[in-house]
Amino acid sequence: MPELAPAMSPTPQDTILEINAPEPAVVERAKPPFVPLASRRFTVEIRQQMSWPWQALILGIAILAGLAISAAILIAAGVSAKDLLNEFIVQTFFDKQNFLAVLFQAAPMIMIGLAASIAFRARFWNLGLEGQMIWGAIAATAVSFYEVGPEATRLPLMFIAAFATGLLWALGPALLKLKLEVNEIISTLMLNYLASNFLLHLVYGSWKDTKDNFPHSPEFRAFERLPEFLPGISSAILLAVVVAFIVWWFVDISRAGLYLRFVNNNPRMADAVGVPVRRMTLSAVLISGALAGVAGFVVAAGQEGRLTQSFYIGYGFSGILIAFLARNNPLAASVVAILIAALFITGRSLQVFYQIPFSMVQLIQAIIVVCVASSDFFIRHRLRPVAAKGG
Amino acid sequence: MDILLNWLANTPDFAVPYALAALGLIISERSGVLSLGAEGLMLVGALIGVGAQLAFGTTGISLFLAMLTAAVVALLFAMMVIVLRVNQVIAGLALVFFCQGFTSLMGTLLNWTNQALTGIGPLTFGSLTELPVIGRILFNQNIVVYLTIPIFILVALFLNRSTTGLRLRAVGENPQAADAAGLPVGWVRLGAILAGAALMGLAGAYLSVYSTKLWVAGMTGGRGWIAVGLVIFARWSPWRALLGAVLFGCIEALIPQLAAAGVKLPQYFVLMTPYAVTLAVMVWVAMAKSGIDAEPGALGEAYVREERR
Repeated sequence: MPELAPAMSPTPQDTILEINAPEPAVVERAKPPFVPLASRRFTVEIRQQMSWPWQALILGIAILAGLAISAAILIAAGVSAKDLLNEFIVQTFFDKQNFLAVLFQAAPMIMIGLAASIAFRARFWNLGLEGQMIWGAIAATAVSFYEVGPEATRLPLMFIAAFATGLLWALGPALLKLKLEVNEIISTLMLNYLASNFLLHLVYGSWKDTKDNFPHSPEFRAFERLPEFLPGISSAILLAVVVAFIVWWFVDISRAGLYLRFVNNNPRMADAVGVPVRRMTLSAVLISGALAGVAGFVVAAGQEGRLTQSFYIGYGFSGILIAFLARNNPLAASVVAILIAALFITGRSLQVFYQIPFSMVQLIQAIIVVCVASSDFFIRHRLRPVAAKGG
Repeated sequence: MDILLNWLANTPDFAVPYALAALGLIISERSGVLSLGAEGLMLVGALIGVGAQLAFGTTGISLFLAMLTAAVVALLFAMMVIVLRVNQVIAGLALVFFCQGFTSLMGTLLNWTNQALTGIGPLTFGSLTELPVIGRILFNQNIVVYLTIPIFILVALFLNRSTTGLRLRAVGENPQAADAAGLPVGWVRLGAILAGAALMGLAGAYLSVYSTKLWVAGMTGGRGWIAVGLVIFARWSPWRALLGAVLFGCIEALIPQLAAAGVKLPQYFVLMTPYAVTLAVMVWVAMAKSGIDAEPGALGEAYVREERR
């Protein structure tokens, strides 16, 4: 069994040297070896499979560890531990009003999580979720701003516009990657900066609200906003759930989803058995962009009711985090998205009541990613103590 | 004429952060580690640079502490990618967002935000600085600009002419072979990550201590990502990276000059230029792909001895 030898222990090369050495090495060997705990030998083995309960347990421990570290940072930053527990855990999930707020926030979060997981399934690092989201929101706002179409079709038109522009903004990096092998990490990120500057150009320029002169677009009319389908529950969440099921059908049931799994596991093998790898990658990325665009529409038409200058902040990394924690599974992504939405709501309260910058949310997310990614090591490997060498 | 002169005189100031960050990335990526965390480590350098400057008031100490802290933060990244074999893209992204959150929080809590630094200016060389035209361009820059050239020479010599540099490149090209030859793959990569992180920290500290002379959350504004693109453009060669950095410096230095000259340009489209140019050079490099594939062979791959390929 090949092994990762700790620095202290003799490696095969050392043994050869010992044989060549003038001292009688055999006498050394005769003593029963004392091995201090620190230099006990462990081998790292690759696990083929680990049972689901164990995986879930390790994941759970990792997330808890991440939250504990985050809580420690918050307490060090001056938030009292009692408040933290009460306000942000009990209140967020067990208070009806706050829970509705979490659900409301969850709608775009689910969309962005689905968008990320579809792209990652095609091995495409779509870090341009924020840019695609911005374009979705801009397109939806344009439909409202220029009053395109009659009142009855306005909202569907806004949806379609957001879907299409998000898709188009993802088309560029997808084609660049497929045709020219341009690194998509950089290209999608650069497109984010272009999109966000264009957004600023609009909200500080021709789209500025003339009523209050703030840098946001004029408010949408009532029929341009996502209605409530139950008292207190926006239809945005309904839309998100429907989309989640469609995506689930797409990746888990449909033939395309099966192909996508081939591509995800091994693109070269997929190509060899006749899966249209490039077409699958392109469509996955385009769907990803379109969903991100819809997420922008959901924020604009569901939450803000207008185009604002920084509505997209934090969504890009959230999407990556959701897809990562949910292992690109759409239904799991929806559940994780609700938790991340709760984190967002908590982050806003921290900002308002404790003057903690909103980027604390990013810090917590990053800590969770670090913990979970590190815990993967124990899912994929086994540390096995072995008998001390010399016996 | 005046504009041209100002433009050229200001170019090094904008080019240095790109150059140093790209150089740090080259060291790390030549050893096979994709350091997407550059943006975050630059932020750490920028924050600590300002903090140390406010506390001690000596630029040397500030720059040193910034480099040190960036390296310490990069230890976290190193542990993830070397020991725990985490996907390097995930680890890099996590590092960026970790640093963004952390620096923003620290800046607020320690009250370092928007505190202007004073008394930091370019060096002057007496009569040399008074020389027409070249005086302002060559003899009126700050110390880090002058240090950047020897740093580049040293790193280029190290990578291409020294045994240790050869080992570092071997680990990046083919860790299996390097391991078989007896090189400690993990330790070499750790060294490369830390050295690279120190340079990225220096790049960030330059931005905050010398360029803007204050700390604002998220002040690097994507320069770390641009540096990642720059390294691809430079095909992992230090000198080409320096060239690219000067190009980006030229573009960034031109923007305020145009504004000062009264050229009316839509502000936000002007702000897009560095990103658009990055995208353009990436496409250009991809289209002009020559026969040489300079990308380190094992870039982005965790080395796992148990997984024979």
